[in-house]
Amino acid sequence: MVQVQNLTKTYPDLSEGTRVAVDRISFSVAAGEIFGVLGPNGAGKTTTLRMLSTILRPTSGQIIINQANIDTEAHLIRKSIGFVSNNTALYDRMSARELVEYFGRMHDMERDELREKIEILFKKLCMEDIGNVPCGQMSTGMKQKVSIARALIHDPPVLIFDEASVGLDVIVARALLYTIAGLRDEGKCIIFSTHIMREVEKLCDRVAMMHRGRILDIGTLEELADKHDQNDFEDLFFSLLTRHDQVNDQVEMQPLKLTSVTRRPSAGATSV
Amino acid sequence: MNMKWSRVWLIYAREMRDQIRDRRTMFTIFVLPLLLYPFMGMLMLQVAQFNSEHPVGVTWIGEENWPQENPLIIDSDATRKTNALIRWNYLAKTELKSDAQVEAEAIVREGRADLVLITKPGFREWLSQSKLGANQETRHATDAGLTATASSFDSESDSESDSDSDSESESESISIASTSSTLATRPSGPPPLLTVVNQASDSSVVALKRVGHLLENWRSTWLREQLAEANLNPSIVDIISVERVDIAPPETKQALVWSKILPLIMLVWALTGAFYPAIDLCAGEKERGTLETLLCSPASRTEIVWGKLLTVICFSISTAVLNLFTMQFTSTFVINQFASAGASDVVQALGPLPFSSLTWLIVILLPISAMFSALALAVATLARSSKEAQYYLMPLLLGGLPLVMLPMLPGVSLGTGTATIPVTGAVLLSRALIEGHYTEAFLFAPIVIGVTVTCCLLAIRWAVRQFENESVLFRESERFEFRAWIHNLIQHRTPTATANEAMLCGAIILVALFFGRMSLASNELSWTSMTQSTIVIQLGMILAPCLVMATILTSSIWKALRLGRPRLADMLFCFGLGISLHPAYMLLSSAIQTEFQLGADTKEVLGYIDAMISAAPLWSVILTLAVIPAICEELAFRGFIFAGLSQEQGTLRAIIVSALFFGLSHGVLQQTIGATIMGLILGVVAWRTGGVLGCIVLHMTHNTLTMFVARAGKQADLIPSGLDWAFERTLEGGLAYTDTWTILSMAIASLILAALVFNKPSSASYFWAKDRVVSPES
Repeated sequence: MVQVQNLTKTYPDLSEGTRVAVDRISFSVAAGEIFGVLGPNGAGKTTTLRMLSTILRPTSGQIIINQANIDTEAHLIRKSIGFVSNNTALYDRMSARELVEYFGRMHDMERDELREKIEILFKKLCMEDIGNVPCGQMSTGMKQKVSIARALIHDPPVLIFDEASVGLDVIVARALLYTIAGLRDEGKCIIFSTHIMREVEKLCDRVAMMHRGRILDIGTLEELADKHDQNDFEDLFFSLLTRHDQVNDQVEMQPLKLTSVTRRPSAGATSV
Repeated sequence: MNMKWSRVWLIYAREMRDQIRDRRTMFTIFVLPLLLYPFMGMLMLQVAQFNSEHPVGVTWIGEENWPQENPLIIDSDATRKTNALIRWNYLAKTELKSDAQVEAEAIVREGRADLVLITKPGFREWLSQSKLGANQETRHATDAGLTATASSFDSESDSESDSDSDSESESESISIASTSSTLATRPSGPPPLLTVVNQASDSSVVALKRVGHLLENWRSTWLREQLAEANLNPSIVDIISVERVDIAPPETKQALVWSKILPLIMLVWALTGAFYPAIDLCAGEKERGTLETLLCSPASRTEIVWGKLLTVICFSISTAVLNLFTMQFTSTFVINQFASAGASDVVQALGPLPFSSLTWLIVILLPISAMFSALALAVATLARSSKEAQYYLMPLLLGGLPLVMLPMLPGVSLGTGTATIPVTGAVLLSRALIEGHYTEAFLFAPIVIGVTVTCCLLAIRWAVRQFENESVLFRESERFEFRAWIHNLIQHRTPTATANEAMLCGAIILVALFFGRMSLASNELSWTSMTQSTIVIQLGMILAPCLVMATILTSSIWKALRLGRPRLADMLFCFGLGISLHPAYMLLSSAIQTEFQLGADTKEVLGYIDAMISAAPLWSVILTLAVIPAICEELAFRGFIFAGLSQEQGTLRAIIVSALFFGLSHGVLQQTIGATIMGLILGVVAWRTGGVLGCIVLHMTHNTLTMFVARAGKQADLIPSGLDWAFERTLEGGLAYTDTWTILSMAIASLILAALVFNKPSSASYFWAKDRVVSPES
């Protein structure tokens, strides 16, 4: 459903010339799978997911979602995805119903179909009582529900969650994870980025560990534990990070630069 | 992907609903105008009422010197009314501590009175002795028809106040000798009446007017009595009168006033009305984090921009229209109030705002609002937050105001030239329509609309580009570190400048030229000083900035200045183009000077410079005004700036921007227009020849020919006999190209340009095979 090949994103930087945010990463995700993207802050997770959701243009590499190429058919990709991010806010002066309806109509849905879909979705997400509440008056948990409803309204085959549980209390976060698991069971292809390891352990079928714009390793939790001989997932993650930083510190003390990309050997990025 | 208007409409509807629900925007856009004008009207009425009803304090020193038989307050309706608004206070000479004038100044300065009137001793005596009937000489003077009321008190005081408005308090001597001495033909008059006022105080000015009114009435009455006593007809005072016939109907006169106020108010409000929604729709959306949601929806960036733009346009138009209507309503009300209060002069001058004027203004408003909205939207997109957007939009407002104010200058009217100036043309067009000059308006309307629509489309295109630019949409808060920046500049040098560096170079050149030209302008005009200043300007202010920047900021000075090895054919083409374009350029210059006429002072200076150049040796003139400028200007504009811009922003933008910088560097409007057009051609040549040398050849040929034609106008023997057919004498005695050669040369120039454009562009090969490479790639 989602194929990513050698995806790279660089930004111009006043002091460094060019800053590499995502460095030749490759992975693929199938339908009915939750693919976790785990990494510390600044690892490049949000940039990667923004590229997948067509908000950012890749510097190089290829993204194919639902058989559409991002370079030529970004508009088709936008119809195939639902994007939920903790950075994403809602229009404060619109009610939940108005907002979801607005995005449904943006996806060319008919009014009757839309109304019916909203009722089902609001019932499923337990949102019936907040349908007419302006988003500006909602709690963080309520807002996140509205965001999910907005992302699901056009029934996209691919769902992208970018640190969606950040800022939620334990109860709402748990409900969110259940919702995402339910969506997987419906056959959705889900990409879920987080820096919370417990969420990965509970939810993800496979996981890519990102650091400094690169994928350090990728696989199921069992595969990774066997490969690195670490049963504790947290220890495994930190050992990978430490190893990567030590290698990099020996190679160069400079910040990452585009000019060094061609010289530097690939550090563990694995195509799946 | 094609734009779907249904989606644009959807975005527009949402944005409109969102804005309508925003109390702050609604207050600024809709409620404020509803309150503003009634408040202003109320204030105006109150000020007018205050001015007309507020009594003023007047101290009279030396009242005992006034003739008892001729009291100052004449018994008439007008004087009684005026006198009722004056609180008199009398000071006898015995109460004075010092000199009367010094004391009077102190009284006014300390605010004890608004005005002090001083009647000096001897005034009464002089009047009683100067009876007309008692003096035969006066009869002769009167018979000669000298009008006694040659100067009225009011006009005297007005002119005095204009010339001496700087002084805080001032004394004014009003002597009736101007009348009586004329009548009596005596060298000395009575001691002058002295009024001490403070022109910086409004109440003092009002007091001066009121006392002046009383004095004028008194003087007129006294004079009539004198004439009557001398058995002369008192009406002789008014025997000569000037009558005025004004053919303008009152509506047109009223329209003239409104035509100056309304466009200004309309445009300022159209811009203000676009500001706040644009900030909220772009920077506000970024700030709130809702933009990301919209960007990953099926709506394309163009659809998003159009949806937002339509919203901003709606608010801009609504604000301006609402302001106009509120103003119309309030002004009609206020003017009716003035009319009922008997202020006929105000009613005649202003009159109610004509409804037809409003209709015309709204028609003009549509494209103007669209342009302002697109500009505001594009600028607001640059900002990360609403606060930052306000910083960016203020320069937009300040930049737009001169264009709105330009039509206010005396003598600026709608013409081909002014119609092509964005905003200014629209203001002048709306003025012409309000004043009822329909023929003139419809003649220039296509130009104004064309310019406005072009600007509008460019602004929309810019706004769309901003929305497609990731670095603009997702600009993180960057901390600028000077050392790291300098380090990066030196470590990551590219062969040519970046677009920002090119723009910076252009800006530095323009600023240096502005200050340089002013400081080098000497009072003594001589060829030597002119040569020196030209060389300093060309080398120090045009060439030096680009050379320094090329050396520091780029890895290859040759590539940065586009010093490619030229092809011989290209050089010949450029030489031919320089010759064949010259007649067309002369024609263009002449047309520009007809449209934008030079002032008399500028003409005089130019005439002097022309004479100076004619007297200088030809080789020196060509070297100073043709060779050096061609080299310096081309290396800067088609070299460094063009290279930087074309590398990052494409050839078209490089051609246009370098031509604009080139045009602006000429300083004088007439030259700027011509030079910008020439700059566009030079840009095309720079693009197709792949280097700057072809441009230098073209520029040098062009300037040399200009000098040669100017010189040959005064020295006929300079033209070879075989070229007689190409030149002719003008009526002013100068030299011009014949029509035959002008048409032929334009055809040749078109052919050469076509050959350059359609020929394969030259790939640059540089003089130095090895560049001074210091970038880390090496």
